[in-house]
Amino acid sequence: MNALAALGEILVFIGTFFYFLSALGLIRMPDVYNRMQTSTKSATLGSLGVMIGVGIWALGEDFGSVAWLTKTIVISVFLLLTNPISAHTLIRAAYKSGIPLWEGSVMDKYREHIEAKAKEAETVGAPESETPEEGGEE
Amino acid sequence: MLKRSLAIITILIIGYWLAQSLAGVPFGEDKMLVGQYYLDHVKDQTGAVNAVTAIVVNYRGFDTLGEVTVLFIASTGVGALLWRKRKKRTAKTEGSVVLTTGSELLFPFVVLFGSYIFIHGHLTPGGGFPGGATIATAFLLLYMAFVSYEIPHKAFEKTEGLAGMGYVLVGLTGLAIGGYFLFDWIWQTWQWGTGNIGRLFSGGFIPIIYTLIGIKVGTELSGIIDNMLKEEVRE
Repeated sequence: MNALAALGEILVFIGTFFYFLSALGLIRMPDVYNRMQTSTKSATLGSLGVMIGVGIWALGEDFGSVAWLTKTIVISVFLLLTNPISAHTLIRAAYKSGIPLWEGSVMDKYREHIEAKAKEAETVGAPESETPEEGGEE
Repeated sequence: MLKRSLAIITILIIGYWLAQSLAGVPFGEDKMLVGQYYLDHVKDQTGAVNAVTAIVVNYRGFDTLGEVTVLFIASTGVGALLWRKRKKRTAKTEGSVVLTTGSELLFPFVVLFGSYIFIHGHLTPGGGFPGGATIATAFLLLYMAFVSYEIPHKAFEKTEGLAGMGYVLVGLTGLAIGGYFLFDWIWQTWQWGTGNIGRLFSGGFIPIIYTLIGIKVGTELSGIIDNMLKEEVRE
């Protein structure tokens, strides 16, 4: 075992620790939004740690080669780009389908924004492209 | 309640029965008969390093042709079941900017990775079906992210048919050269790529067939997605 392998092992350990924190956050947090916050963030970081760690770990072993590190870097870049997008989409969908915030939350600027927009559309009146609906013709 | 408990009891009995029959099967012992032959001869007979794809495409290519046919029938069936004169996407809400930009950026990478999977079918795990499914996933991503995305139908359907025909044509060429359907003529007759087993240009006709299958499966699944996402519009 050499320095590279040791560094990889430490990174993997840190990664698994963050995985654990992410799972703990899923249990401990009060509502969907907080749960998503804790789980996605630490799971992304944990995965990065584990994958880069495995790549570096393999560099230090006899059987290892650079191929491992290349692959893990590609995978982690992919994960780093996609995970936040999926978290964003999930949270947005949760909000749009009306899942309430935690009762302890103080502010909901997004709700205010949506309501202000709706009001604006009402006062302007006659929303654009209001084609008369043709229904009940069966 | 009675129904559920009856179902549970029946399933438990079936499970016990299956477990009884499996109890006599020895696991972890060397019981390979045909498998050993495959493992011993896969390199010099097919040129592929990946034994699974060699078996699936080369030794038992007929099964793969059947699977491709099943997928084709599934796609045609979905098309026939959901056939209507006027169909439109009926997505209600616009995706957020993060989602649309993200999927736009990711789309080429997903397609690239799918192509990588099916081109390297004879070297790495995967092959035509996972690669094609990955490509279809890329199109699904666009379908999900944009309100009014549609695949180019004409080109897609033609490509699908041509890829399927290409598979059969490769098989028929084998029939003409070697004497039986799906004979690996590139490897057995031309000896092309014998010098570099384990590199990209080897593996007989496996990469060619897997490219065709990947294109076919990708376009097919995208077509199924397209059919299922669209709804009838009234005039």
